Amino acid sequence: MTLALLLAAALAVACVVVVALPFLREPEPESDVLVELDEDERRRLELLEARDRALASLKELEFEHRTGTTSDEDYRDQIGPLRREAALALQALRRESGKGRLDDARN
Amino acid sequence: MPELGRAALLVTLGLSVYALVAGVAAAHLGRRRLARSARNALIASFATTAIASVVLLAALLRNDFSFTYVARSTSEALPTAYTISAFWGGQEGSLLLWLSMLTAFGAAAVSLNRSWAKDLIVWVVPVFAAVSTFFAFLLVAVASPFATQAAPADGFGMTPSLQNPYMLAHPPLLYLGYVGLTVPFAFAMGALLSGKLDERWLIATRRWTLFAWAGLGIGQLLGSHWAYVEVGWGGYYAWDPVENAALMPWLAATAFLHSVMIQERRGMLKVWNVLLVILAFSLSLFGTFLTRSGVVNSIHSFTQSSIGPWFLTFIVVVVAASLALVFWRLPRLRSPTKLESPISREAAFLYNNLLLLALTLAIFWGVVYPMVSEVVRGEAVVLGRSYYDFFLRAFGLPLLLLMGIGPLIAWRKASLRSLLTTFRWPTFAALAAGVTLLLLGAGSSLPGLVAYTFSAFVIATIVMEFARGTRARRALGAPSWPAAFGSLISRNRRRYGGYVVHASIVMLAIGVAGSSAFDSVAEAKLARGESMRIGSYTLVYRSLDERTVSNATEIRATLGVTRGDRDLGTLEAGKNAYTVEDQVSNEVGIRSDKLTGEDLFVIAEQIDRDGSVYFRVFVKPLVNLIWIAGLVFLLGSVITLWPDRREQRRLVARASEAGIPATP
Amino acid sequence: MARNASPARLVIALSVAGVLAVFLLYTSIAGGGNPSLAPSELAGRKGAVQLAGLVVGPVRGDAHDGGLRFKLKDINGDSRTTVAVLYAGSVPDLFKVGRHIVVDGELKRGTFVAEPGSMITKCPSKYAPKQSGDESA
Repeated sequence: MTLALLLAAALAVACVVVVALPFLREPEPESDVLVELDEDERRRLELLEARDRALASLKELEFEHRTGTTSDEDYRDQIGPLRREAALALQALRRESGKGRLDDARN
Repeated sequence: MPELGRAALLVTLGLSVYALVAGVAAAHLGRRRLARSARNALIASFATTAIASVVLLAALLRNDFSFTYVARSTSEALPTAYTISAFWGGQEGSLLLWLSMLTAFGAAAVSLNRSWAKDLIVWVVPVFAAVSTFFAFLLVAVASPFATQAAPADGFGMTPSLQNPYMLAHPPLLYLGYVGLTVPFAFAMGALLSGKLDERWLIATRRWTLFAWAGLGIGQLLGSHWAYVEVGWGGYYAWDPVENAALMPWLAATAFLHSVMIQERRGMLKVWNVLLVILAFSLSLFGTFLTRSGVVNSIHSFTQSSIGPWFLTFIVVVVAASLALVFWRLPRLRSPTKLESPISREAAFLYNNLLLLALTLAIFWGVVYPMVSEVVRGEAVVLGRSYYDFFLRAFGLPLLLLMGIGPLIAWRKASLRSLLTTFRWPTFAALAAGVTLLLLGAGSSLPGLVAYTFSAFVIATIVMEFARGTRARRALGAPSWPAAFGSLISRNRRRYGGYVVHASIVMLAIGVAGSSAFDSVAEAKLARGESMRIGSYTLVYRSLDERTVSNATEIRATLGVTRGDRDLGTLEAGKNAYTVEDQVSNEVGIRSDKLTGEDLFVIAEQIDRDGSVYFRVFVKPLVNLIWIAGLVFLLGSVITLWPDRREQRRLVARASEAGIPATP
Repeated sequence: MARNASPARLVIALSVAGVLAVFLLYTSIAGGGNPSLAPSELAGRKGAVQLAGLVVGPVRGDAHDGGLRFKLKDINGDSRTTVAVLYAGSVPDLFKVGRHIVVDGELKRGTFVAEPGSMITKCPSKYAPKQSGDESA
């Protein structure tokens, strides 16, 4: 009975310590701010996703064409728009990162 | 030490509430240390729940009947293995298992090094905490597994039908699935709350969803096998509400696993995917609610169950809150792309989704219909087997066909001409199979014949995909055919693992169609020496024996089995009478044909005093494919689940390119 | 054709319509299910119903030869009404006096004639919590 209560008390104390740990470790941190994506970064992430999507689609299309799952006709219809999509995403990214570098330089 | 267990649960509740409140505050205000602290609380709650579980397990193993739970679910004589399974045999214990798994999943999901998603995980922590707060609250205030009493001399024991090896694995696997669906839900809500609605939440949870989904699938199949071998009524699935409870979230998760691919590849269906995750999680809560609260055919039992109202309230809150979140974030969930043509891979996946959803809703309607009609009409109306069978055929057969079409049709827009070329051989294979089967007499069941024709179609497409892919890999420089095959699978685990899973579903369909549409049954009362015929089998009732084992009296009728001129040996069927529990159970005799997968299934329904026995005999063609399908399903799931380093590297690189530093 | 309208909407609308059609087809062919009644509610009922009740002895007869005869009373409440049941076909393991069972059938001249093979015992297992009074009473 008492042993159980002692253990329970120890457990509660241990949990409080674990929860307080981030504050105990860094009583006065340089920064207490969470890493957050700003609008530019979020936009860049979306562009990167669009780029990867287009590239993955291209790769898959090439392979499916090679295996014969995708017919020559469908392949011809799709390769153009996909390439354009990938190129657009890459272009937009280049523009963005150019802007980003300018921002960095200004800071 | 019930006090320790109670205290551990109380601490768990405190930690969960803290993780919820601090997590929301930290994420909202952007405080790093507070977010850390909330995460630590979530991880610590796993440790405290584990301690509570150990206390209960120890009490079960020590047969400490001062624990009300232990006394109610075990007895001195119960073998150790079943004493352990008593952990999840009752309401309180299984809720504790839920919470343990939930906190384990939560701790693992937020502490795995996902540097590329940490701005998301800040919001995932409070969502997990909210769910675990509910379960911890139930365990502390409503259904405590640590209630005590003056210890009786012995416990009440366990129902004989639960004293079964299947009950060691079947419930925990189902719970793994139910609880595992919390992970995609928590990440989806985290994404909505944080407004980070890029595809990272999908990627972060894909394997968790697959894992939960595989657990649900295997768990259900084990349950079916248990019903087939042990319950002894000649079937494996009865559309029982408790069985449906596991099937519904599985179907919803299946829909999600498919539509996710559309979002990843085309950026479409963002709202749809979030809704499917909410649906799958709500259905898994509903499933737990059904199995736990005893609300099955009547709302009368609802008011008697202690946790029922709580559960229902929680489900309503979850659905309402998550739908409100979706509505709030609707502007950010707009898709950049649109469906271009109704004949395309994305459209095929959409049809698949709609059919899966329709099947889920039909089953859901069947489950709740007795309750709804009781409220509306004043009397409970129960929908029978024919209702479910009808919808399984109406929605399941098109799904089967789509399984062959979907993966092969071109993205965006497929031309009719190329469709004809792509599906020339599979269609030919399907027609050939259909005609052959028709000539062999399979026309006796139209749905069965259609199922087999579609199955042949799907199998042909899968074989074709593997063959062509391997050939292409070989042409691309793989040193040997096996190497080409291996590299084909390892380069696109999801696709080819998916094909393996598809193959297992086809096997399941063939097994189900064979054993339900083409089975035969015969029954006869035989005196010793008499015989009966079913199909090409002849059974001769030879003798009746009675033996006494430690806890039961076993009566067995021995039958000699021949097919044509061939002697197939003997088969035993009978009954066990359990002395302590005062219960009788059927012990069926099953002879499986290893070559054809056909079962001869004998039930000794009634054993008369004069030694004559009323036998009920089934011949179930291809039924064993169902169990083999389970193994293939497992294989396919493992292939799909296997970690992919290339993908991880790509994600980390992408995140750091976007500006998220790679440090944890 | 209508290039500006999204086919997604069309697809969803068509599918929903399809599902509804299937649903209507089902309900028009098969009709609803059977109402589930307690023995006390059975008096004067016509047509096929599902009867759920508690088995009251004595159980007589042979399920495979002329049929099994027993009575059912309400599971809940304190109604003392019992209904005589005639049942043929396979009898589940768990059937015995004091169990909850469900049978489909029809009331004919005061006796509930069950459809052969329709009996289901309400499984006490399936993890449903054991009623506390069950064992000790």
